[in-house]
Formats: sequence, C-alpha cells, structure tokens
Amino acid sequence: MKTNIFAKPGMSPKEIVGAVRGLKGVCFTSVGMRDAGQSDFKNRHRIYDLKTLSHYYNNMGLFSAECHGGARWHVGIMNRRESPFEEINILRELMPDVLLQTLIRETNLWGYRPYPKNVIEYVVSKVDIDVWRCFSFLNDVRNMRAVAEVVMKRGRLFEPTISFTVADWATNDYYLSVVRDIVDLCGGVDEIVLCIKDMAGVGDVNRIGNLIDAIKQAYPELVINYHRHITDGLAVPAFLAAAKAGAKIFDVQEDSLVRFYGHSPILGIHAIFEESGIPVHLNRAEAEAAVQKVRDWIGHYEWAESPFKGLDHTVTLHKMPGGAFPSSFEQAQKAEFLHLMPAILKMMSLYNRIVKYFDVTPGSQITWVTNSGIINRYAKERGDAGVRHIIELMTKFVEEKAQDFNAMEREEQEELLTLFRNAPGDFKNLLLGNYGKLPVGWPAEWVYKSTFGDEWKEKIKERKELSPLDSVPEDDLEKIRRELSDSLGREASEEEFILYLMHPKDALEFIEFKEKYGEAPLVLPTNVWREGLKKPGDRVDFELWGKPYTLELVSIGAEHEGIIHVVMRVNNKTRVYKVETPRAKKVEIRMAKGPNEIGAPINGNIWRIGNPERGALKVGDIVHKGEEIANLEAMKMENVIIAPFDGQIAEVCVKLNDTVQEGQLLFILDKVQIKEQEPIGRID
Amino acid sequence: MKKRTIKKVLVANRGVPAVRIMHTCRDRKIPTTAVYSTPDRLAHHVFMADTAVHIGEAPPIESYLNMDKMIDAALRSKSDAIHPGWGFLAENDEFAQKVIDAGLIWIGPSPKVIRLMGDKIEAKLIAQKANVPTIPGLNDVTDINQIKKWMEHEKVTFPIMIKAAAGGGGKGMVKVENEDQLSQAFAQARSEAKKAFGDEKILVEKYIERGRHIEVQIVADEHGNVVHLFERECTLQRRNQKIIEEAPSPTLDEDLRQEICFTAVRLMREIGYTTAGTVEFIFDSSTKKFYLLEVNTRLQVEHGITELITGLDIVGIMLDVVMGKKLPFKQADIHPNRWALEVRLNAEDPKTFSPSFGTITRLEIPHGPGVRIASGVYEGADIPPYYDSLFMLLMTAGADREDAVRTMDRALSRSLRVEGIKTLAPLLLSIIRHHAFISGEFSTRFIEEHINELISMFKEKSSEDEALKVARYVAEISALGPQKWM
Repeated sequence: MKTNIFAKPGMSPKEIVGAVRGLKGVCFTSVGMRDAGQSDFKNRHRIYDLKTLSHYYNNMGLFSAECHGGARWHVGIMNRRESPFEEINILRELMPDVLLQTLIRETNLWGYRPYPKNVIEYVVSKVDIDVWRCFSFLNDVRNMRAVAEVVMKRGRLFEPTISFTVADWATNDYYLSVVRDIVDLCGGVDEIVLCIKDMAGVGDVNRIGNLIDAIKQAYPELVINYHRHITDGLAVPAFLAAAKAGAKIFDVQEDSLVRFYGHSPILGIHAIFEESGIPVHLNRAEAEAAVQKVRDWIGHYEWAESPFKGLDHTVTLHKMPGGAFPSSFEQAQKAEFLHLMPAILKMMSLYNRIVKYFDVTPGSQITWVTNSGIINRYAKERGDAGVRHIIELMTKFVEEKAQDFNAMEREEQEELLTLFRNAPGDFKNLLLGNYGKLPVGWPAEWVYKSTFGDEWKEKIKERKELSPLDSVPEDDLEKIRRELSDSLGREASEEEFILYLMHPKDALEFIEFKEKYGEAPLVLPTNVWREGLKKPGDRVDFELWGKPYTLELVSIGAEHEGIIHVVMRVNNKTRVYKVETPRAKKVEIRMAKGPNEIGAPINGNIWRIGNPERGALKVGDIVHKGEEIANLEAMKMENVIIAPFDGQIAEVCVKLNDTVQEGQLLFILDKVQIKEQEPIGRID
Repeated sequence: MKKRTIKKVLVANRGVPAVRIMHTCRDRKIPTTAVYSTPDRLAHHVFMADTAVHIGEAPPIESYLNMDKMIDAALRSKSDAIHPGWGFLAENDEFAQKVIDAGLIWIGPSPKVIRLMGDKIEAKLIAQKANVPTIPGLNDVTDINQIKKWMEHEKVTFPIMIKAAAGGGGKGMVKVENEDQLSQAFAQARSEAKKAFGDEKILVEKYIERGRHIEVQIVADEHGNVVHLFERECTLQRRNQKIIEEAPSPTLDEDLRQEICFTAVRLMREIGYTTAGTVEFIFDSSTKKFYLLEVNTRLQVEHGITELITGLDIVGIMLDVVMGKKLPFKQADIHPNRWALEVRLNAEDPKTFSPSFGTITRLEIPHGPGVRIASGVYEGADIPPYYDSLFMLLMTAGADREDAVRTMDRALSRSLRVEGIKTLAPLLLSIIRHHAFISGEFSTRFIEEHINELISMFKEKSSEDEALKVARYVAEISALGPQKWM
C-alpha cells in the first residue's frame, strides 16, 4: 500500500515542521478523538469506541490526532473512569504512526488553576504526547514558558496557540505582538507550529483571512494551524479563506460526529478544498471508512448530546466557546434557570467588553459563573423586572456611555459598585493577576471597587504583574506523594501520582473505582457500560488480558429493603451479586474522631466495660489516665482499652457484648481536673 | 495391654482440626460425629461428618469447652472415642479423664501426662530431672514484687515473658519490655489465663531475644516405643502466634538436629508419653543453645508438614496407638526426604491483624503438584467472631526448601482467592518473597521488624480477579441503571 504518512512519532520537531512546509497543499489534524466529543457529547466518548477509528487514522495521512487534554483528562477520571495514561497506551499500540496531540492550558495544565512551576515541569515530562498544543486564556505567553521548555527539551513538537476573538481591541497588531512573544519564547519558527484557536467560532471570513495574511507576511516560514468551531455557521468559508491566506493545518472531525458546537466535517472540507484547487494531503478512502465506523457506536451517546441543538450566529456576541455552550445550558436546565439564559448571554456580551480576556478554560468558567450569578441574584431578589433592569443598566453603561463611569447617575454608579460583590473567588483571582496579565490591561478601577469594596486599594496593590510561573510557590512533591500513598494505604504508581497532582479529590475517587471495578471502563461495550444487561439471557463478551470472558444475566431480583440480588453467569459459573440501592439501610457506625473520643483498637467483642477492681463504668464516672475502662476480646485475645487522660465519662457508646469495628466509638471522655486524693481503683 | 477397636469418633472441635481428623477417619472407614455451636450450624466440619450434634450457643464455654455436653453428644451419637483436635479441650486433663470415665476412648495422651505437662511449672521440674535445658525463670508468681525480686537476684533484665502456667498457643502470654508495663501485663496474662484455661497460675521467664522456635514431633505407643519424626521450625510468629512453619529447620546442622530430637525423646520417654505430642524449644542462634519451652500434649496445627516430609499420617498413628497397637516402625525407619512449608491463613487484616469476620463470598482453593490444603470452610461459609481466626492451612512440599517456597508462591499468588473477609494471604506472600526469609535469616521478631516493607510488597493481580470486578460492575449497573456520575 502506498503510504502517505509524512509525520510520525520519533521525528524531531524540525523534521515535522519541514515535512509540513514541504507538503503541496494542506493537511488535517483530526479532533475526532477529543474536541468533537468535548463540544457536542460532554466528553463522554469512550476509548472503547474511539479506538475503533485508530486503524483508519494510522493510514489516513493526518498531521496529528488530538486525543488528549482539554477537559478530556478530567472528565475521563470523573465520568468515563478512564485514565489518560491508559488511553495513550491503547492508541500508541493501535496507531503507532500517528502523532498524538494534547491540548494544555499553560500553567493551568489540564486543571483550572495555576500549578506551581515544579508541578508543571514534572507532569509535562511524564506524559507521552508528541504534539503539545498550548494556549493561554489571557494570551499571556510568559505563562507558556515552563511547558515550552520541557516539551522542546524532550524533542517533542510544541504548538503554541493564540486565543482568538473578535473585538475592537483584538487587532492584527495585538495578535502580531502575541506571535512575536511566541517566536521569541521558542527561538524562531522552525521547530513550532502556531495555532490560532477560534474556540467559539467567531472569526468572520474576512477577519481570519486578513489575520493569517498579516502573520504570514511577518513570518513567512511559520506553519499555521487553524482551529475553528462551527457554531456561527461560517466555518467552511472561514477555512477556505484561511487556506488561501496560507494556513497549513486544519482541525476537522468525522462528518458523522459533526453536530453544532464542534468542528468541520473532514470529508466536506476535503471536498471544498480540492474543488478550490487546494490539494489536501489525505487518504480519502480511509477517512470515509472512519466516518462510516463512527455510526457503529455514536448512537450510544444520544444521552450525552446537548438538548440545545442547532447553529446560532449570536455566538459572535456572547462568545461562549464550543465546549462550554451545551454544558452551560445543561447546568441552567438542572438548576432551573433555563429561562434566564437569554439574559445571561446578553450580560456576557456586555461583560466581555468590561473585563477583557478570552472565553476559554478557565476564563469561560469564570465568565459563566460570574454572569449567571449576577443574573440569578437579580432574578431572585427582584424577579423578571430586576433582570430587565440590570440588562438595561449595563447596556446603557457599555453601549450608550462607552463605559464612562462618571457619565452614569449617582444611583446607577452605586449599583455598579456592588455588581461584582458576590463574584466567585476565581474572578477575584483573575483581577488580582493570579492567572497572569490580562491581554489589554487591567479593568477599570470601579470594577475593583465593585468587587472588593473598601479594600479595593489594597487589592490593587496586591495585584501581581508576574506570571504565576514566578509567583506560585513550589509544591513539595515527595510530601504530596506520601500523602497519596497514605490515603491509598499502599505505594502510589507514578501515573496515579500525576492524576493526583492534577485533581486530588477526583483522582482518589477514580483510583478507588478502579480498585473496585478494575478494567470495566476499558473492556465493556458502551451500552453495557451505561445500562448493564437488561433481560435474562442478555450477555456480553469481552477480552481481558488476552483471555475471553462472557457475562450472562440470569435474573435481577426484586428490591427488598434496599437490596437487589443479581444472578449472573461468569464464564459459565453462576454467581449472585448483592447490590445496594440508594434506599439501602445504612447502619451508621459512629467512629472515634476527636481526642476525647475513644475508639476500638481492633474488631472484636466488648466483653467488659470497666475493670475488675471497680466494676462497670457509667456516665459521670471519673477515670484516670492509664486506667482500664473496657476490654475487647477478639479471637480469644484480650485487648485492654485504657483512659488516655484523666477524665469524666460523658457517654458510653456501646453496650456490653456488642461486636464493634476497628475505630468504632466506645466512649466520650471529658477532661476534668481531679483532686489528688481521690481513691479510685487505679492501676499503675 | 488389651486391644480396643474404635467404631465411631466424635471430634470435639470445629473448623480446620475437625476436618483434618475426619479425613483420616474416612480413610479408615471409621464414621465420625461432628459437634457444633449455634453459629456453626452450617459449618464445613458439620457436613464432613456422618452425624452431627448441636451442643450449645456461640460462647465456647457453652459449646466447644463444655465437657459434659461433649460427652453427652458422644454417647447420644453412639461414638466410642473422642478426638479433641487442637485448642478447646485438647490439653484438658479433666476432660480426658471424664471421657475415660464415661467408658469412651480418649484419643490422646493419658490425663496424668496432660496434667503434668500442662502445668508449665511441673513440666519444668520434670525436664530438669530428665536433663533437658530450661529457660531461667520463676514459677508460681502471685504478685509483681516477686518478679522484681527474682530479676534483681538472678540479674535478669527486661524484656521478660509472663506466661499462663496452663497456657499454650500464645494465649496468656505477654512480653514485658520495661517495668512500667509490668503490672498491666501481669493482670492481662492472668485474666487471659483464667478465661482461656480456667487457671490463673502464672510464671515468668527470661525472654530470649531473637530466638528461633524449633519443635520436635514425637509419636509413642503404649508399649514403650518413643520415636521422633524430626523437627519443625516455627520461628515466624506475630503476637506469639505462629503463622509460617517449615520442616526441616533451616537453622540446625545435623549434630544439633540429632541432639535436639533425642533430647525430646528422652523427655517424652521419661514422662511415659503416648500418641502424638510435641516438644517445643527456643533456640538461641548466637549461643547455639536450646531450652525447653513446653510440651504440647496434643496434635499440633503444623503436624501436616511432618506428615509431608515423612509420608506418615499422625492422626492415623494416634488412632492405632489408642487401639493398643504397636508403632509399626522404629526410629531408624524414619527418613524424611522432602522439605515442607506451611502458612496459616487467618481471617485477619494483613496490616493490623485485626480479626475479620463475615461471609466468604468467593473461595478458590489451590491445587496442583506439591500442594496440600486443610480447609475449615467453603465458599459461602461464615466466619463467626467467636473462635480462632484460622480457617485454612496451606502446605507445600518439594525436594528442597527452594522448591517448597516456589510452590507456596504459586499457591498463594496464582491460585488462592478469598473474598468477603480479609486474610493474611498478602502478608504471607510478602514474607515468603522476602530475601531474609529466602536466606533463612530470621527470628521470632521478623514480622514486627519488617512489617512496613512486608506490607508495601502487597499486590498481585490475575485476569480472573479482574473479570470478577467487571462482573460486579455489570451486576450493579444492571440492577441500578445509568448512574449520575456517568
């Protein structure tokens, strides 16, 4: 078979960039394994299904496959219960000739807050990815330094990314200054690909052609990748304009995955480019087969699709990005403020002219929480009229008065000065420079007054001009590793440690899930993963570590006192599973926590409360440090429970002959001062 | 001596020992009777037997320690002999006498021997008479001042060991590190002694630091023949309870082996021992001296490894001896030609040793060459909280130690699976993989000294286990439907 692979793992960045430059036309990055799912399917596409595309990807002649990063990492451990490391291993094996690509949020990595420099360096050095697309929601190129250094030192391809929006301040000169910073950071244009990230899909056709042209004029040798969501409906002509202006790499996904918030269809883009005389480096037959393959499984994800369907050109006003749009609607629906969405979107379109940055993670979350919070507050306090009022006020301020605070009435000024008082902590962090510099300067003083009240002056003084890379104190990695091992009760693996560094709480839950359910997330087909086996006789076949297994449902019993018994044949052997429903009675066992609570040292039987010399103890009795207060027998061995300090018994939490668990609360003791001469059965 | 026959054996025990004894009875086509307490109604040993008798409620004192009920059960079930197994009434001379007085055959040494050896103080005096070395100590202690005086006088330093005179199996045995612990330890040993053995007599001994525990298996008939079946080493203990045993001892050279074995024979001959019993020694590696610890006048948990290296059936020998038969071999006929290893599978947390009770939801028992299993349970069985935590013995044998260890590794890591309760299995596996165990360099304190590294070695996965985790997931989702977290 004629191979059309021009870039593959193991090539140096210089070789890869050279290969792209040498192509006659353009090439594609497939986002079918990451952003397609993130934008329209809440990132729920499982590696079990995605890997069925890898064979085609391996032969398709892609520039790269974006299969990692963004929110896929976090949703993977929280919802799909897949580790990003497992995913890389699977894809490496199945598509060894494809460059694997991640999306990383500079100092925020795959999380939502700036990580210390040593964490960034450690994590980036441990993840086996070929192409590192790195963006900053502030276009603060300083923040990319740590990621760039590690990636380039490893000989992997760094793809610095400019966040793109359309605004009066977002001029060619502005973007060229960002590109200049990037080229300076990366020591030229020969070992990088520059990405323009149009994450909401707001670039109108002329604007994008014009910008790429300007960049190419300044840096003729720079390879440009255009990443553009489709929500405004203008992605195809925008791509064409970008290609004509000299962009070389385009983000596409399988036509059968295209919905409303993701990317352009691979076959459609291939067709229009070819028709326009722009050669595309692609094995079309393989791409068609992949489009077809998606239909095998995409039906299993209907539940994850946004209920808000359709393109919408008003995205160019509120600028909510592809991935955030459906999830915001979902959140609004769940919290029952869906009817406020038009007002929230309007508020966002005004807000983004007051506080200027890019609506992409974590910025998009800050925008969403801040604005939905303001509108909800007005709705709660003053009803629909209140919502209308604040929109009118803001429109007047931004559009009529051009944000001239002094041009507003005194009453209006006072209201503006409380607008951000309840804003989320991350909004405050943003204003304080904790994420980095805002792209075109800090917001006006009234925003600080509004956010911080009387403390606004001190807060402005606190505001950091440094990159978080230089201001966030380093973490003690060994201490964190020990902390993880302690919570697991065993040594943590390197991969578990990195998951923990990224999202500590969710990583622990993920590890616990994996310990309980093993490889279920990787081996089960999606319908079974989501719904189980439905009726007697239903079966699922899978392979685990190269051996065949079959599960067959025999029966599901009726619920009784919160328990359902499920009978299954596991490789022909009948097993009964006791499943607790949310209605299962939880016998709550009180555990000893505080220093005055005395717990059982091991599992066993409380056969004596008190001691032989003074007999049984009861509430109110005074006990002395070292005195035996109970005795616990386990497997015929006695275990003395002694008073840890002089005290008075406030509660006896068990009865004689109770079977108790390790750690279970036995006594509560109050500290008391005891007179010296008190002659109580003391054992010393 | 008159020949007797045994028509039916009541096994006055439960779990592993009961099952073990019933196996030999089955070999001999001798019917058996099981006894059970209320929580043991569906226990494994109950169904191993030909008939079963309920003898009372859960607390041992109402069931497995209740002599009258036991004898009554034997009479009612038309059993004519009682085997006590180990633990419970096995070393109780009063019970042995009651059995005999009821006209039943007692499968064990005479009540007189049990009484003599059961009293550690008596036993020590007899041993000294037979020229068997004993640990310096003080007998019959009633208060801690006696201990303090003795220590001063004999220039003994801490640590010391306080023991129940009637004790065994680690119960009523407390190590004392310093003077502050003395009174608490003394009280505890006394109370445990009273509870476990109904006798609060106490003795103290010098504690042999980093000693090794070596014991000699003896069989003897009523015709004056006393034969040893060589030694076992049981150095690996936690809280004075053995968890790994092996035969032969990796510690002894041939001269010491002969010396220790014949010392044991001398003692047992001196006291007129019959059936099977064990002489336990503590061996001080630094001085190459051994001292008598105690004589166990019963079948021992770890007898199986001696059977593996000698090819004999010790329970069978006990049956023959009490029927008046002569031992069918002489000392010169005994030629061990295997190395055997035993691990005790206790229902305990392998990190904290906290007992674990509950239902065994999954049980895969090791098979294959070189493996012998003595199990007291089955899949679905309950482990009740009232009794000893031992529920299975795993034994392996090979041409040499390396062989036996390798087979044990296979049995523990690739074959054995127990779910529903916690077991010592991970710890046991870590121990047999530890370089110090492999090289034979360890003492009775090995586990406490190495517990952290032993615990960190846990973890062994098989596709079988993993498939069951997947099945558990499918069962839950099938019952509950799509979950919120998805």
